[in-house]
Amino acid sequence: MLRLLLSTALAAGLASGASTQEITVGAANVSSYLDPGRDHSNVGSQFYYNSFDTLIGKNHDTLEADWQPALATEWKLVDPKTMELKLRDGVTFHNGEVMNADDVVFSLNRMYQADFPPYVVRSRDRLSNFVKAEKIDDLTVRISVEKEEPLWETLLNLQQVMIIPEDYTKGLTGDPKVAEHDDFEAFSLAPVGTGPYRIAEFVPGERVVYERFDDFWGEKAPLAKATVQHIPETASRLTALKTGEANIITNIAPDQLALIESDKNLRTVGSATPLFHVMIMNVNHPKLKDPRIRQALSLAIDRDTLNEALWLGKAVVPSTHTLKEYGDLYMPELKTFEYNPEKAKQLLKEAGYDGFEVTFDTHPTYYTNGLLAAQAITEMWKEVGINGRVNIAEKWSGRSPEMMTRNWSNPMYFADPFGSFGVMWAPNGPSEGEGRFNTDAEYAKIWERFRFSKDVEARKTAYGELMERIKQDPPVLPLYRPYESWAMRKDVSWAPKPGHIPYVLDFRAGSISFASN
Amino acid sequence: MTYPAVPATSVPAAALQLWHSANIIQKAAIVIGLSLVLMALLAPLIAPFDPNSQSLISRLRPPLGLERAKAGYLLGTDELGRDVFSRSLYGLRLTLMLASLGAMLGLLIGGTLGLLAGIVGGRVEATIMAAVDTQIAVPFTLVALFLLAILGSSIEVIVLVLGLAGWEQYARIVRGEVKRLMNIPFIEAARAAGAGPLRIARHHLLPNIISPLVVQFTLALSNIVLLESTLSFLGLGVQPPTATLGSMVGIGRDYMPTAPWIVAAPATMILLITFAVQILGDWLRDGADVRLRER
Amino acid sequence: MLSYTLRTLMRMALTFFVIVTIVFFATRLSGNAVDFVIGDGMTTEDRDLLIKYYELDRPVLSQYFAFLRSFTDGQFGLSFIERRPVADMVLERVWPSTQLLLSAVTLTLLVSIPLGITAAIWRKSWIGSAVMVVAFLGYAVPNFVLAIVMVLIFSYWLNWLPVVGNGTAWHFIMPTVALAGVLIAALTRFTRNAMLDVLGQDFMRTARAKGLPESAVIFKHGLRNAGITILSVIGLQVAGLAASGSVVIESIFAWPGIGDLLVTSALRRDYPVLQFGVLTVAVAVIMINAAIDLAYAWADPRLRHSVKG
Repeated sequence: MLRLLLSTALAAGLASGASTQEITVGAANVSSYLDPGRDHSNVGSQFYYNSFDTLIGKNHDTLEADWQPALATEWKLVDPKTMELKLRDGVTFHNGEVMNADDVVFSLNRMYQADFPPYVVRSRDRLSNFVKAEKIDDLTVRISVEKEEPLWETLLNLQQVMIIPEDYTKGLTGDPKVAEHDDFEAFSLAPVGTGPYRIAEFVPGERVVYERFDDFWGEKAPLAKATVQHIPETASRLTALKTGEANIITNIAPDQLALIESDKNLRTVGSATPLFHVMIMNVNHPKLKDPRIRQALSLAIDRDTLNEALWLGKAVVPSTHTLKEYGDLYMPELKTFEYNPEKAKQLLKEAGYDGFEVTFDTHPTYYTNGLLAAQAITEMWKEVGINGRVNIAEKWSGRSPEMMTRNWSNPMYFADPFGSFGVMWAPNGPSEGEGRFNTDAEYAKIWERFRFSKDVEARKTAYGELMERIKQDPPVLPLYRPYESWAMRKDVSWAPKPGHIPYVLDFRAGSISFASN
Repeated sequence: MTYPAVPATSVPAAALQLWHSANIIQKAAIVIGLSLVLMALLAPLIAPFDPNSQSLISRLRPPLGLERAKAGYLLGTDELGRDVFSRSLYGLRLTLMLASLGAMLGLLIGGTLGLLAGIVGGRVEATIMAAVDTQIAVPFTLVALFLLAILGSSIEVIVLVLGLAGWEQYARIVRGEVKRLMNIPFIEAARAAGAGPLRIARHHLLPNIISPLVVQFTLALSNIVLLESTLSFLGLGVQPPTATLGSMVGIGRDYMPTAPWIVAAPATMILLITFAVQILGDWLRDGADVRLRER
Repeated sequence: MLSYTLRTLMRMALTFFVIVTIVFFATRLSGNAVDFVIGDGMTTEDRDLLIKYYELDRPVLSQYFAFLRSFTDGQFGLSFIERRPVADMVLERVWPSTQLLLSAVTLTLLVSIPLGITAAIWRKSWIGSAVMVVAFLGYAVPNFVLAIVMVLIFSYWLNWLPVVGNGTAWHFIMPTVALAGVLIAALTRFTRNAMLDVLGQDFMRTARAKGLPESAVIFKHGLRNAGITILSVIGLQVAGLAASGSVVIESIFAWPGIGDLLVTSALRRDYPVLQFGVLTVAVAVIMINAAIDLAYAWADPRLRHSVKG
């Protein structure tokens, strides 16, 4: 009898020990689809790293580019425009398929030679230099580029070139031998990768359930199960954490931090996320054509006060469009943007500003503190005599010719100036394509030097020249690196790692643990 | 005795008579209602600050009497350092304006259509009632969302949206009453004597349907106050920085765990408005009901 | 009776068609889905590619006919954003919404009919007024404020009730109360008024004159006759709530309901989901209304005769 009691107690103890290996995350947003290739949203990037691998991995504990073997164990250039990679042996996908060169070639070429429109779009803004991937043997592939590529590893470490299974994907709909568009659509609802967690359940917009994948090639996942649940309301998310319904919650506005910290069972972690909240200005708007008006709009904004007031001073206000993740290309010495209300007033006078209304568009909730910052900015404009008005809209107005100014973000898609400024402000890139930014032949020439020079100094010089162009005829003002926070129960140990792109919920081995048990 | 049966001779005398006929709760409702209207009218005189002027260095300060309070800011400051008291006053002013304009617009649209349906009948009636059915079956938030998306979210459009929120109720009531009255002998007689629909409406129907309309109007008034806050919750209300009671609670709700004073004042005002309006509406309704008066 | 039923059905079908058409064109008028679905930062070339892929470049009329045709394949099209059949998306949310609605209606009936009768009987004393004041309180603040206050008190501070989703019976308590608040106020009021109407009528006096005890008079004669009015009010309120009432509550309690889906898809201009969602709700509302019309006709002999004749 005693033994029975003891064993029951033991079982109960084990059960509670096991239950700590399951966590629930209360997230402000959950993806509507999961396909690392087509996605580059801030919502989506939370999810991919747990379930998918790239060929070349990265040590995420450091800011520096410390490349690690992942699905490829070694790689070398066989000629200046061709890289050969040896694939890891014995990797299986979540559905049991064994990964080989065919899967890798399929995954890469669906991006490099995309014909599925959502892939085409993603590929064009960052992978356009990549020509194709070819199979050499079962565990060897070669990748070729058009121009010599200075960013090989970086661009093979992208979320967009994570590896997915060929047979599984092709077999999802229609002809199992052919990759149809519908196959890719179906994949984004039932995603399969090689990572330490398989996606056991996915309800778009509502819930992602990860389960430990026992055949993972690397160190086993620390959690048996992790559920990311959509809890849109701030008060509800906070409460769920407090009641223990959630172990971790995302998207904590700085104003809520003190409340959480005051609870002895809870704590917060945060970091200045590698992206900029920016203000964009439509250079082609008839009333903003004069660069002096746009310079004044920019000079009138006291970003340090915004940081102190809205971010408790924890955001980072940059002097130019640069992030310290860039390593050698981090250039804080450039002074592209500043606060100078006197100069703003003078420029307005010179430009003959007649008090016309300047609208500032913002989504009601998308950016943390976005609506607050918009209201504060128009108030700052008022100080120098600019008649500003906040215009709240759900839709993306950045391609509307009527858009005057609005907020936006320039995320670091990968750790290089090309991965942030370079994606957004390239010649014929998204900003020019949307008709609110113009480039000329000279800008394009500087941009080419910046993108493809193999000499770091040459790239830096070119980047400095680009920034000077931006300063003289500004289409953008980086406001700050926002300080994004997560909160958790004290027994959970998790923090965003410095080497990741923004918002990644990394639950791999070494990234999350429990303080007790 | 809940209603003055004898017509009063002058307006003050009538008001006095009304006051005496009210019970304690109804008296409270009258006092609350009048004070709110007064506060709204006098907002520019009472409010110590410009409701939109920010002070980023003194955000989220609690009301006077609490730790960290800032002198002069009676009810504390909001997420941009604006004076909650001043914003509440101006918010009250705008909300009452929106609600009364919206309720009147609804009355105008719904009443006209209901009258038309009841008097003309036939295909006109069928069409109007089909529109009523449609309006009931389509989620109103969506109607609001589309209208705001198509027409922009200016104050005028919001009044229109709020007005459209209740028109179908007026239309149903008016049509029902008209149909009932059309069968009553004195109207049949008037029709037989050759009176046109307009004349019948003005001289015979309107006086008889005033009382159910007044009741519906009070209902609509408080409904609209609440609806305006729901629209703000969904980000569809009056655009910041302009304060309405609805937008203050709709946007301020994220601060309920940390700075509840931002929501407290406007939410209390909403509560008082709906309370006063509902009590008064019921009172009017009881008074207007002939059968009850006789009992 | 049969012709009345037929006419009701015809009217339903017509309303349905009108709604289909209005929803379709209103969505198109309210903004191009491209600006919402496709997202930010894209070159013109890429944008055109996606517009074509999502078939947003087709003339509105041809989209309209394709939309009407989609009723026949049972899928009703694919969501722009989630890329799965909209019927799946909407149907998986119908049951949670219905559950919440039913529990709110049950609570409302349990609370407001007794309250309404009490208020009617003692309408001249303070009891009647006090009941009405209590009933109003549920109505007097925006329901999201009530909901968040409840969440903070019962979950955040007291840790008594869960706040996320619809997993257990405990999960139902706060959303039900928040949702029923408005209904209770309305129904108490209507019950009271219906009872007052009935109380003044001749047959009640007759019943009293016969020497029946007051409670019997009220419950046997009063309530039965007031029932018709109460029924129609409940129907209208439920229909109204089914149509739009719960989006706010669903969002606060992370309830996987249809109101939340509708508003989200409207905000993101996910037309296929929106169209089908609105139709589902409209069908539900029209059915509720029709059921009430029929019940009304069946319960009220005068009306039954008049529609026959």
